[in-house]
Formats: sequence, C-alpha cells, structure tokens
Amino acid sequence: MEILTQLIFSGIALGMIYAVIAFGYQLTFATSDTLNFGQGDALMLGALVGLTLVGMGVNYWLMIPIVCVFGAIQGAVVERIGVRPAIRIKSEFGWIMSTIALGIIFKNVAENVWGHDDLKFPSPLPESPIRLLGANVLPMEILVVVGAVAMMAAVELFNRKTIWGKAVVATFNDREAARLMGINTGLVITFSYALSSMSAALAGVMIAPLTLTGATMGAVLGLKAFAVAIIGGLTSGMGIIVGGIILGIAEKLTGFYLSTGYQDVPGLVLLLIVLAVRPAGLFGKTAIKKV
Amino acid sequence: MKSRPLLLAAVGLAALAGFPFVVANPYYIHLAQTIAIYAILLFGLDIVVGYTGQVSLGHAGLFGIGAYTAGVLFMKFSAPLLVTLLAGVVVTAGFGALLALPALRVTGPYLAMVTLAFGTIIQILINEMTDLTNGAMGITLQRPRLLGATLDERGFYFVICFLLVAALVVVHRILRSHLGRAFEALRGSPVASDCMGVSVYRYKVYAFVISAGLAGLAGSLYAYSEKYISPNTWNFELTVLLLLAIIMGGRKTRSGALLGAAIIVILPKLLDDLELFRYVSVTLAVVVVAGAAVLVARGRSTVARSAIPVIGSVTLAVLSFVLTSMTDWRLSIFGLITLLVVYYLQDGIVGYVRQSLGWRGHGADDAAQAATLAAPASAVSTSTAAGTGELVAADQVLMQFGGLKALNEVTLHVARGTIHGLIGPNGSGKSTMMNVLTGIYVPTAGAIAFKGQSIVGRTSARIALAGIARTFQNVQLFGEMTALQNVLVGLHHSYRSNLLDVALHLPRFRREEREAAARAYALLKFVGLESLAGEEARNLPYGKQRLLEIARALALNPELLLLDEPAAGLTAPDIKELVVIIRKIREHGITLILIEHHMDVVMSVCDVVTVLDFGQKIAEGTPAAVQSDPQVIKAYLGSEAH
Repeated sequence: MEILTQLIFSGIALGMIYAVIAFGYQLTFATSDTLNFGQGDALMLGALVGLTLVGMGVNYWLMIPIVCVFGAIQGAVVERIGVRPAIRIKSEFGWIMSTIALGIIFKNVAENVWGHDDLKFPSPLPESPIRLLGANVLPMEILVVVGAVAMMAAVELFNRKTIWGKAVVATFNDREAARLMGINTGLVITFSYALSSMSAALAGVMIAPLTLTGATMGAVLGLKAFAVAIIGGLTSGMGIIVGGIILGIAEKLTGFYLSTGYQDVPGLVLLLIVLAVRPAGLFGKTAIKKV
Repeated sequence: MKSRPLLLAAVGLAALAGFPFVVANPYYIHLAQTIAIYAILLFGLDIVVGYTGQVSLGHAGLFGIGAYTAGVLFMKFSAPLLVTLLAGVVVTAGFGALLALPALRVTGPYLAMVTLAFGTIIQILINEMTDLTNGAMGITLQRPRLLGATLDERGFYFVICFLLVAALVVVHRILRSHLGRAFEALRGSPVASDCMGVSVYRYKVYAFVISAGLAGLAGSLYAYSEKYISPNTWNFELTVLLLLAIIMGGRKTRSGALLGAAIIVILPKLLDDLELFRYVSVTLAVVVVAGAAVLVARGRSTVARSAIPVIGSVTLAVLSFVLTSMTDWRLSIFGLITLLVVYYLQDGIVGYVRQSLGWRGHGADDAAQAATLAAPASAVSTSTAAGTGELVAADQVLMQFGGLKALNEVTLHVARGTIHGLIGPNGSGKSTMMNVLTGIYVPTAGAIAFKGQSIVGRTSARIALAGIARTFQNVQLFGEMTALQNVLVGLHHSYRSNLLDVALHLPRFRREEREAAARAYALLKFVGLESLAGEEARNLPYGKQRLLEIARALALNPELLLLDEPAAGLTAPDIKELVVIIRKIREHGITLILIEHHMDVVMSVCDVVTVLDFGQKIAEGTPAAVQSDPQVIKAYLGSEAH
C-alpha cells in the first residue's frame, strides 16, 4: 500500500510535467493549427542551459527566469524558421518536417556541446524525502506540481485579463476575423510558440533534478506529452491535467510491476486507442465537418 | 512516344546487371544492395506519403518488423530465404493494417504523431521481448541459400535487383491504375472520394497494407544483406531520413524514390570523408549563390527570399572547413538539408528537373491518348427504370447540431425524371439537406428512402454506388490530378480488376482501362471540357471546375444528381450553357435536385421548387406558384415595412 501511494505521488509529479509540455502543444495548435515536433528538444535545451547556469554559480531560483527567456527566444526562432515559411507556402506537411528537422539539429548541437552522457542536475531542495500519507515524497516532486499549476494558471490569467491575452484568445477562436480586426496574428503565432517553448524549458528545469539531464531526454517526453494532449483533448485545459496524471501514474505502475523497459508503452498504447476510438480526446469537443 | 521509357528501362537493367562485374569490390556491391533495399522501402513509403498524402513516421518500425521477421525465423527455425521473405511481407503487411486503424480516424499532425508512437512501441518491443528477438544482443544471420547454393555478395545482389525491378513494375502499375487514382483522390478531397463511391476507409487501409508489405520485403532483405540486426537501427532518425529521401528525390515518381535512396545511403559515407565533403559543400554553395544571383537579377526572386538558402549553403561550406570531424555533426547537416529541401525543393529533384525541362506528366499523355480512343455509344448513362414513381422520399428529417436545428422535420419527395429546385436564403439548410442525402451527415431523426430503400446510416460511398451523385458548393476536385483522371475516379465503380490483374496487366484490366478512358473523355466532351482533359484540375478556371464536377458526378451512372449551386461564379454565357447541359442530363432520365441562387435558372428549368427557411420547409410547388407565395417573398425580402 505504501509503495502504491508512493508510486501515485511520483506519477502525479511526472504527469504534471507532461501536462505542462502538452499545454505548450495546445497553445500553438490553437493559434496556428501547427505544433512543434521538437517540443521535447525545447525541454532538453532548457534543462541543459539551466544546468550550465547552475554550474556557473547562478542560484536555481534566479536561473529559472533566465531559462524561461531562453526558451521563449528558442520558440520564436522555431516559429520564424520552421513554421512561418511553411504556412506561407501552404505546404501540407512542410512544418512537420521542418520542426522535426530543427529538433534534430538542436539535439545534435546539444550532444556536441554537452556531450552524450547523462548529467546529474543538483537539486535546489533537500533530497531527503518527507512523509506524506505514509509515503515518501521528494520535496522536488511537490515543487514540480506547484510550479506546473502556477505556470498554467499564469498563462490563463494573462489570456483572460490583459489586452494582449485577449488578442491571443481572439486568434484561437477565429484567425481570419482576428486579423481583420487589426490583430497582428503572425505576431500572436510567434508569441504562442515562444510561450510554448518557454513552458517546455520550464518543465525541463523542473524535472531535471528528479531525473538525469542529457541530449536525448526530450524525445520520448515530447511524444508522451503529445499523447497527453490527445488523451485530454487539444482544446481542454482540464483534460491535459487529468490526462497527464493518468499517464504518469500508469507509467510508474508499469515500470514498477512489469519492467522499467516497458514504462513508455502504456502512454503510447493509450494514445493509439484514444485516437482510434475518440479522436477529439476524452475532454475535447468533436468538430462538425463542413462541406 | 513509347521508345524513351523502353530505352531507359533497357539501359537501367543493363547497368544493374553489369554493375557487380564492373565493380568487383564487395564493399561497393554491398552499398548497391543497400540502395536497392531502401528504394523498395521508399516505393512503399511514397504510396502513403506521396499519393495518399499522409505523413508516416512509422515506416522505420515497419522496416524493422520485416527485418526481425526474417531474423527470428532464421534464428529459431533456420527457415529458407523464400519463406523468410514471404513471411516478412505478410507479417509486416498485417502490422500495416494495424497502423491503418488510427489512420482512418485522424490525419495530418495527429497521424504523424500516431505513427511515431507506433514506431517507438515497435522499437521498445524489439528491445524488450528478449525471448523472441534476442533483445539488445541482436540477431546474426548467415548468407542465405537459394536453389541449393549459398549466395555470395554478388549472388544476393542479383536477388535484390530482381525484387527491386519486380517491385518497381508492380508499384508503378498499381499507381497508374484505378487503385492509384483512388489513393490520389483521398489526398485531393476525402469527402469527394467517398461521394464518388471510392471508400476512403478501404483505400487508406489498402495503401497502408501495400506500403507495409514493401517495407517488410525491404526489411527482410536488409537483415540478410547486413547479416546482423539490432534494435537501435529502427529509430526516429531513420524514419526522418526516409521521409527526407522521398521529398528530396521527388514525390509520386519511382525515379525520385531511387534517387532518394541513393542519396541517403551515399550521403553519410560522404560525411565520413571530410576532404570530399569540403569539395561538395563548396560546389553546392557556389551553385546556390549563382542560382540566387541569377534569379534576383531576372526579378524572379527577391534578396530577402533568397537570403536563407544562400546563408545556409555558405554556412555549410564554412563549417566544413572549421570542423575537424563531420561525423559528430551528421544529424545537424541532415537537419539543415531537410529544411532546405522542404522550403526550396518541394517537388524534389525529379520534380524540379521535370519542371525546368518542361516535361509533361503522364497525365497529359494519357489524356492525349484517350482522345484517340473510339467514343462509347453514349457518354451519359440512361436511367433505365423509367416511370413516374417517387425516387426520393425524405420524411420528417431532423438534423441537429448541438442546439441548432439545421433541418427541422423537413419532408422532401422527389419524383423520378424531374428537376427539383431547392432554394432558400443563406443558412436555410439546403446544403445540409444535400449532406444528409449523401450520407455525409446522419440525420438525428427521420426517414430517407431512395428507390424505396432506406439509406439512413449508410456510408457515403455506398450511397454513391446506389446511384446518388453530387457536386459541391465549395468545389471539391482532386487538384493534382488531370481533368480526365478526375472523371476516371468517378468511373472507379466500373472496374472489376483485382491487384493481380493490375500487376500483370491482364486483358481484363487493359480492356477496362481502355473503356474507362474512352468514357471519361466522352463525358468531358459532354460538358465541353475535352480540350482541357490533360490539364490539372487546380489550374482550371473556376467555372470550368464546376463543369468538371458535373462530368465526374455523371461518371457514377447516377439516377439522382445533386447540383449544389452549379451556376455560382459562372458568367452569363456559361450559365446558358449550363442550363443546356442540365436539360440534356434530364433527357437521359436522370433526376436532378438543384440548389441555386440564380432565380432565372431555377425558374426556367425546375419542375417543382421547394423553399427552405431556417431549416423549415415554407413552400413547395411549381416555380410560378412559389414565386408569388407571400411567405417566400417575406423570407427573401423581409416583412413589408409598415
């Protein structure tokens, strides 16, 4: 029972990380119907940049805003180089290929800069677990949950309360109409990519102390976060949190009771099943097809 | 006309056969084997990516399944070559069908991610199922035996070449047949495919299964060629590399697949040789800079637009001198190449060469040939079941979207042989009615009978084959296909040939193909488009596109033809022609339902007119009666101002 509770706790922490990355997918999909196939690499870059900063003696908490800025710039670059030209030439899958290509480049650069080995990220909080409901919980895990919720809440607040946020929401709803109302939708799309990569970078520095940091850490995280975005529905904020937690716990349970080699499987299988049965996701709305 | 491809084929075959004798070095023979294997894989990938337009990131996984099927059969049962190859094809094709299941529900980025997930699962399973696959240890194979003799490098090369040529011929024939047109139609417009009786479901599964079968063949050959397989080969980078090969070589061409295969096999070797790479990258940079300069000077491009390729290629050249080892940067270079190809070489090398040399596609040749065929007795089918009974009886049809009742208990009865007008202000539910009749929407409630049989809940494809054809308010043509090919998709139902007929060009297929081409040309003539038969549909002017839709719909041999605003966007003389065509269609006993905003058209050709407003039927009767109905006037012009 104690083990189960513990698995559930670490599953929730992992799930919240997925939710933050999936949140990034939602942001760009809403504004431009595209998403960054290199989202996992954005996370990896965030974690590695954070690691370097910490290594240079920068305080963990001070490092976070710097990494966020870095993530935002990286996202904007992806949008400018990878997505905007593809949208302009109306290439069907050009943006898929170009964001994948950028992801591969980022990963390769990271390998050459930081090496092929996984690195240990020093934990900013004590690494001795605290007792909660009879299970051991790492303080870092609690920080992940709090940080993830705070991040998503901050973006939601921004969207609802500020005029720039309203421009973003308008672009979500109807890109053409928003453009006709004088909103620079191109800028909004760039902005959504910046936000998206920023949340991934933040997720990177939050999860890094719990796992190891390395050039290959992003790929599978990005794919599983996509599974979460689909399971929850690409339009539902609540969906990704629930989807993330379901997946996080499912993985921890599989890893413990079956084999750690299989722990990536449930998420991917769940993704295939959800798409085969209910493509709009558990919480998403089915769109009416217009002819 | 025919001599060029034949000559090319002869030269190609001779080169293939002569290669291992000219170059005796086993290293190069092995390289050639690898290229041929990737080419087989790419033929298959092109069916899914180029023709049906679905992005698959799962083909590395399928390739791996093929390799491991062969490897496991060899390791566990010492199975002979023919058995392992066949098993590789069959097992992988089965997995292809599995992969097609989610593909039926989703497209675009979703599908890309799903196939990526599929590929990842396969890699994990190969790694973890150690009992079956030997896990991370991999499987070692020995040289295969065939006809009692052990095949050496050269012998196996010939086996691969034989299969490569066989795959090339079969794939080429499939893609040029009605099956290939069905695949292409899925990409152009899934809705229109379904409404032409070409079931999107069925043909997507076919495409994935054929594609996977080829991947399986390639995979099992790869296992023998490498003599050692391990789980890490079938990774994400391989999948991206395969896509890059297809796009770079050129979609929808076999030569593009061959070229792409050669590039992705040779390029990594090139990167290992720094000296050679420096030459190549400098040459590339010079070519790109010169090309951009010429384009800018001629005013065909701007400085800003050509900046990125110039900077990219120059950077590559500079990098090649700065870096001491390319191997570590291999993936970055692939990434850069991918970016450049996606933006500046969308049609691939083959497409680019074709365009600059002004070669016409085979579509134009086919169209020219169709013109020479003997015309069929009558282009437009004649509805045999004459009489005056009711053809369509839709009763109390309710179509609800959330809280909105797009159709509120509408009853529509259409008599055989009439032209039935359906009018009403925008948003009154006319197009919804069309969509309900053709099975695109399933009505919330109500009954619809066509020829006395209920069609509620049937798929669009089945309804189309039962005899209801339609055109679309927003033109839904298969853009990259020629006008003739568009009509041929409508004639898909006339084919009885199976895969074997197509692959071997048996007499049945040749006869059907000839008949269909003649009929399609005659249909184009019927709507006056015969001179544009070889033109791609997307290049036709708007009015002609509408006429092409009518020709395509008539190819279904419909008993009921639904025309959704056929006159929209037409000029006055065109409209006159359209009215003549509509009358001629009726003379063949085909019943029409006509949605139209041009009242003069409606009033001049319709026998009965039904008026909808806010999803409800507000009037029905002869054109004259409807025209003077006060409710109709109110709906169109608003209530009188008092």
